[in-house]
Amino acid sequence: MNQERITIALAGNANVGKSVIFNHLTGMHQHIGNWPGKTIEKAEGTLQFKNYTIDVVDLPGIYSLSTFSIEELISRKYIAVENPDLVINVVDASVLERNLFFTLQLIELAPPMVIALNQMDMAAKKGIEIDHKKLEEILGVPVVPTVAPKHIGIYELLQATVDIIEKGNGTPSRVEYGEEIEEKIQKLSKLVAKLQLPYPARWIAIKLLEGDEQLERRVRQLDPEILSTVEKLSQDIQRIHGHSCSTVITSARYETAGCIARDVQKIVSPMTPPFRDRLHAFTTHRVLGYLTMAAIVLSIFFGIFTFGDFLSGFLGDFLYGFKPSFEIVFGGVIGELIWGGIVEGLIAGITIALPYLLPFYLVLYLLEDSGYLSRIAFLMDNVMHKIGLHGKAFIPMMLGFGCNVPACLGCRIMETEREKLLATFVVTLVPCAATTVIILGLVGAFVGFEWALLLYVIDLVIIFFLGRIAFKVLPGEPTGLIMEMHDYRFPHGRTVVKQTWFRVKEFIKMAFPLIIAGSFVIKLADILDLLKPITDTLSPITVVWLGLPAITGITLIFGVLRKELTLIMLATLLGTSNFSSVLDPVQMIVFTLVAMLYIPCISTISTLVKEQGWKRALFITVFEIVFAIIVGGIANRILLIANIW
Amino acid sequence: MELPLTHLKDSESGIIISINPSPRHRHHGHHNRGRFRKRLEDMGLTPGTKLTVVNSAPFHGPIELHVRGSRLAIGRGMAERIQVRVNR
Ligand SMILES: Nc1nc2c(ncn2[C@@H]2O[C@H](COP(=O)(O)OP(=O)(O)OP(=O)(O)O)[C@@H](O)[C@H]2O)c(=O)[nH]1
Ligand SMILES: [Mg+2]
Repeated sequence: MNQERITIALAGNANVGKSVIFNHLTGMHQHIGNWPGKTIEKAEGTLQFKNYTIDVVDLPGIYSLSTFSIEELISRKYIAVENPDLVINVVDASVLERNLFFTLQLIELAPPMVIALNQMDMAAKKGIEIDHKKLEEILGVPVVPTVAPKHIGIYELLQATVDIIEKGNGTPSRVEYGEEIEEKIQKLSKLVAKLQLPYPARWIAIKLLEGDEQLERRVRQLDPEILSTVEKLSQDIQRIHGHSCSTVITSARYETAGCIARDVQKIVSPMTPPFRDRLHAFTTHRVLGYLTMAAIVLSIFFGIFTFGDFLSGFLGDFLYGFKPSFEIVFGGVIGELIWGGIVEGLIAGITIALPYLLPFYLVLYLLEDSGYLSRIAFLMDNVMHKIGLHGKAFIPMMLGFGCNVPACLGCRIMETEREKLLATFVVTLVPCAATTVIILGLVGAFVGFEWALLLYVIDLVIIFFLGRIAFKVLPGEPTGLIMEMHDYRFPHGRTVVKQTWFRVKEFIKMAFPLIIAGSFVIKLADILDLLKPITDTLSPITVVWLGLPAITGITLIFGVLRKELTLIMLATLLGTSNFSSVLDPVQMIVFTLVAMLYIPCISTISTLVKEQGWKRALFITVFEIVFAIIVGGIANRILLIANIW
Repeated sequence: MELPLTHLKDSESGIIISINPSPRHRHHGHHNRGRFRKRLEDMGLTPGTKLTVVNSAPFHGPIELHVRGSRLAIGRGMAERIQVRVNR
C-alpha cells in the first residue's frame, strides 16, 4: 500500500479546543487550559490514518485574518503562505456567531477545509441546539460535530478530511457584501488577478479594501497604481455608508455570520441562570470577587503547605531511616561519598521538592482549566494599568507561579513590544514553584506559615514597585484590555492529571540528574577541601552582609541551575533536612528572600535571551542579583533589630 | 440618547453608533487609530450591534459586555470611546 503524506492545520478562534484535538491526534503535549491565547507558536505532530501519513499543525487562536497581533501573523502566514493541504476550522458551537465570522474569512482565502463543530456538549448545556447538516448546506463545507476531550467525532473528522483531500471542496458559499461593494470587489479582483499573487484574487481585493498593510506592501512593489484605485474605491464606500470601508466590510461579515447562526441554531435558555453563570457573577463581583480571589489564593497556599509539610516530614523520616543500615553495608570514604553524594541528593529531592511541587501543579492546572484565570485578569486590570500593563498580563504572572519559562513565553499575548518587555520583567520576579518549595519547605516549615505568607506579600509588593519604576523608564500609553471570557467549565480530570504528570515527569527527568551530579561534585569537593576557597571569596556578601553561614554561597550558586537546588544542596551539604539545627529563623528568611529574588534560573535566562535578546536578559539577570543582595542585607538588619526570636 | 459606553448602568443595553479614535493615540497618526478600531470590530463590536453591559470592575476597571452571544471584557479607556444609543 503506498503511503501519501499530507499536511493539515488546525485554525479557529482562541480557546475553542484546537490543542485538545491536536494532542489527541498526535499524542503531543500542547498546553491546554480554559483561557484565550495559550498556543503562541505553531506546533507540529504526525499521525497515521488509513493510507495517509498526516502532518498536523496546531496554530494560535485568532479572531480575524488581519495582521495586527502576533498570533494573527503566525496563523495567517501559515495558512496563506505555507499552503497546507487542508485546514480544519475548529468552531466553538456555544459561541457560534463569533466563530462563524472567522470561518467566513477563511472561506474567502479558500483553502480546502472541514469544520469541526466542537464544544457540542457546552452548547447543549447552554440550551443551544445546532442543526449541523443545515450549517453544512449553507456553508458548503463539511461540518463534523465533536466533543474533543471525550474524543467524540474525531474519527469522523479525519474521515471527512480524507474525503475532501480526495474529492475537493466544491465551491463553498461566501459573504455577499451588497451591490456597490461587490461591484468594487469585482473591479479590484480583475486588477489584482494580473499580479499573479499566490492567493485568490477576491480575497486580495477584499483585504486591500480593508486596508491590510501586508498586502498593500506586496502590491505596492508590483503595481502601485492599484493602491490608488483601492484608495478611491474605499473612499466611495465610505461616502455611501458613512463608515470606513473596513468597518463596512467587517459589519457585513458579522451580519452574515449572525444570519447563519440564527438560521441553524435554536436557543432554549434555561429559566434560572445556571450555576456557572452565578459563579461567574460572584467571582467578578466588585467586592465579593476580590474577597474570593484572596480566599482562593490563601487557601491554595495553606492547603499545599499543610499537605507538603506533612508528606515531606513523613518521607524524610522514612528515607533517612535507611542511613544506619546503609552505613553497615558500605563503610568508609566510599560509603560516605555514595550516601552523601548520591543517596542524600535523591532523598532531598524527593522529600523537599516533590511534596510541594506535585499538589501545586495540580491546583494550578485545575484553576487554569476551570476558566478562573480570565476572571482574575478582569479583576486585576486596574492594578496592572498602574504598572503600564493591562489585565491580560496577569495571566502570564499566574503561570509564573508554576514556572517562569512558559510564563515568559506567555508574555507574547501582550500587544506591543514595550508591554511584552514590561510583562516579561515582572514575570521573572514571580516566585515559581521551585521558589515555593523553598518558601514553604524552609520558612513555612521551620519559622511559620505566616512568615511564608509574608514573603509572598513582600514579593508582590516588590513586583508592583519595580513594575512601576520600569513603567516610568519605559513610558507609553498602555493598550486597553479586550478579552473574551469563556464560560466556566468543570475541569476535565484526565487533561489536568495528564498535564500535571507531564510537568512532574519533566521535573524528575531534568532535576534529579542535576541533583545527583551536583551532590556528587559538592561532596567530592567537600572531602577534598575545595569548597573553602569559594565560600571564602563569597563570604563578604554571604556572611558579612547577609549574615548567612558561609556554605550557603555554594548552594546559591547551584540555584542558578534550578532554584530548588539551593535548598536541596543545603540539605546535602549539611547531611540533614532539619534546617533548624543549622540556620536560625532570621537566616532562613534572609536566605529565602535572596533565593526568591536573586536570579531567574538558567532556563528562564535562556528563554529571556530568546524572547528579548541577550542584552536585556543580561540586564535583568544582573539587576535581579544585585537587587536581591541589597534587599537580603536590609532584611537581615531589620530582623536583627526587631529581635523577634 | 447617545452616550459613551461607560455611562451605561449594569444590565442596560444599547446599540453601537460609532467607535471614536483614541484621543491619546492621535499623535501616532492614522495608523494606530485604525488598529484600535479594527481590533474592537474584529471582536464583533461593529456599528449597529446590540450590546448589554453586565458588570464593571471598581476603580476604573474594565467593563463586561454581552455581545453576539459571547462575553467580552473591555478596558475602561476603550469603552469610553464606544458611542452607543440607549432608550431611556
Ligand atoms: N466541554 C468541553 N470542553 C472542551 C471541548 N473542547 C475543548 N474544551 C476545553 O476548552 C478549553 C480550551 O481548549 P484548548 O484546546 O486549549 O483551546 P485552543 O483552541 O487550543 O486555545 P488557544 O491555544 O488558546 O487558542 C480547555 O479547557 C478544554 O478542556 C469540548 O468539546 N467540550
Ligand atoms: Mg491551543
